[in-house]
Amino acid sequence: MSSRAHEAVAGRDRIVPVGGAQVRPGNKLSLTVRGEGRLAYALLAPTLLVILFLVAYPFCAAIYLSLQDKMVGAPGRWAGLANYAELFRDDVFVRTAWNSVVYTVVAVALKFVLGLTMALVLDQQRRFNNFFRTLLFVPWAVPVVIVALNWRWIFDDLSGFLNNFLITTHLSSNIISWLSDPGLAMGCVIAVVVWAGTPFYSMTFLAGLQAIPRELYEAAEIDGASIVQQFFYVTVPRLRTIFLTTVMLSTIWTATNLQFVLVLTRGGPASRTEIFPHLAYTTALGARRLGMGAAVSLVFFPLLAVLILLLTRRMLRQVDE
Amino acid sequence: MRSVSTTRRLLRWIGNGLLVVLLVWTLVPFYWMVATSLKKDKEIYGFEATLIPRQPTLANYTRLFAATPFVKYLRNSTIIAVGTTVLSLVFGCLGAYALARLRFPGRKLIARGLVFTYLVPPALLFIPLFTVISTLRLVDTHEGLILTYLSFSVPFCTWLLMGYFRSVPLELEEAALVDGCTRLGSLVRVILPMSLPALAVVAFFSFTQSWNEFLYANVFVNSVEVRTITTGLTLFIVEDVFFWGPMMGASFLSALPPLVLYLVFQRWVVKGLTLGAVKG
Repeated sequence: MSSRAHEAVAGRDRIVPVGGAQVRPGNKLSLTVRGEGRLAYALLAPTLLVILFLVAYPFCAAIYLSLQDKMVGAPGRWAGLANYAELFRDDVFVRTAWNSVVYTVVAVALKFVLGLTMALVLDQQRRFNNFFRTLLFVPWAVPVVIVALNWRWIFDDLSGFLNNFLITTHLSSNIISWLSDPGLAMGCVIAVVVWAGTPFYSMTFLAGLQAIPRELYEAAEIDGASIVQQFFYVTVPRLRTIFLTTVMLSTIWTATNLQFVLVLTRGGPASRTEIFPHLAYTTALGARRLGMGAAVSLVFFPLLAVLILLLTRRMLRQVDE
Repeated sequence: MRSVSTTRRLLRWIGNGLLVVLLVWTLVPFYWMVATSLKKDKEIYGFEATLIPRQPTLANYTRLFAATPFVKYLRNSTIIAVGTTVLSLVFGCLGAYALARLRFPGRKLIARGLVFTYLVPPALLFIPLFTVISTLRLVDTHEGLILTYLSFSVPFCTWLLMGYFRSVPLELEEAALVDGCTRLGSLVRVILPMSLPALAVVAFFSFTQSWNEFLYANVFVNSVEVRTITTGLTLFIVEDVFFWGPMMGASFLSALPPLVLYLVFQRWVVKGLTLGAVKG
């Protein structure tokens, strides 16, 4: 998958495999002068500055902040693990942890199933398929805030599309409070996340599907494999790496995106849709407790860190191979 | 064999059915957005609310341009997205060239750092970045936002361009170097002209991400003068009262630039995504 993806990106028919190995001294390109290291760092300077000052430093500062009782606009005092201790004792924490897990797992699972369905449907032969693909991928290009606002209006109690539609078509006789009903709110938020996130899955899956040589299916068919068997013994194994990378990337982005909750429910009703990134946001900016906010945002980081490390490995291999 | 072809036909019909369902699911929200923006308030709220606008009007749009700072938001979003894109492209090209073509100690580590950096979520960084931006007195400035956007844009541009640059045949560059071209000269004269499609794609991603960004824009900017479109939209909510007509109009208009760019670049979008380099 890796080299093929690369080839596709380069937009060429053939790819010259230029890995790190080819740029060794003694290679044909023996112009490796002594100043090359200095030149390299000069060229990389802006990028390195950005990484160091805008990511690495803030990241360390977040850890340091989480150990202080800093408020907005006031100097902080060292508080040790007090923030974390307070957090773990709080009922909201348990509820938020549970919500975050449900939210992430359900949303990722649904996006996966729907994305795979979409990709399989688009992989079939039919007229105007390119046009349909363009339409189905459109949610990917819309800013998340706009998606969330639009859906908030669809879910509106009194005049939103859903209630309007259900009542006009006599499917329901009373108004449903989609976003303020404790039993429905989380489901609604997840539906919006799925709507916005599915195209990413179908795009990567479709690219993977189209890269599977047709001969494999023909061979399987000659061997008497049914359509279902072809799916599980030809399609699924070929897509396994794409499945993994897509799910890991999406899990990181789903778990840390607070815009949907912020616009749709603000964590309500009664913390039913409260998730960690949103809790960190309200703690740091609403309650102005920066230290506590940093602690909240870091609580879920160890889990993500595992994913990030695995992904980093994977993506580097993709390029180096 | 017959059973397989019957299954095929069945599958095709299931596929067509699913396609219809998926199209409805995807397009209804867009329909509702556009339909709302074309309605009068009477048709939007209350008992006379309609599913299809009976008397379509552009009143919401005229109101948007005449009575709200919408144009200002658009201008700010453009300045910030273009600024971020230009800077990220320049930084990205330089860094990517070093990583793709030069040999130096620490190359592997930096490549790893780039990916890692790119994957660290903004939800983790916005609190400490808030103190950084305050200390630098860059709250409520275009520069401040551009600076923070570089934190996701530069690693990503460098990373993607590194892949592209590596696929430019070495021989071409070698010839230029033998002819006395400097390293920078060969970057500008050999590599960049061969990577134009790649540069366009990277610019597209960078622009769209900056245009769509919300969290940093929301935290680091309060003033109307600097506000971007994504955070400006939420100002149509006044004390929990939503002005849905103009808001849907504004939503539609501000979704247009990324949408149009997506339509232009869609062939490459998918290819870029397979590298796992673009947020979804």
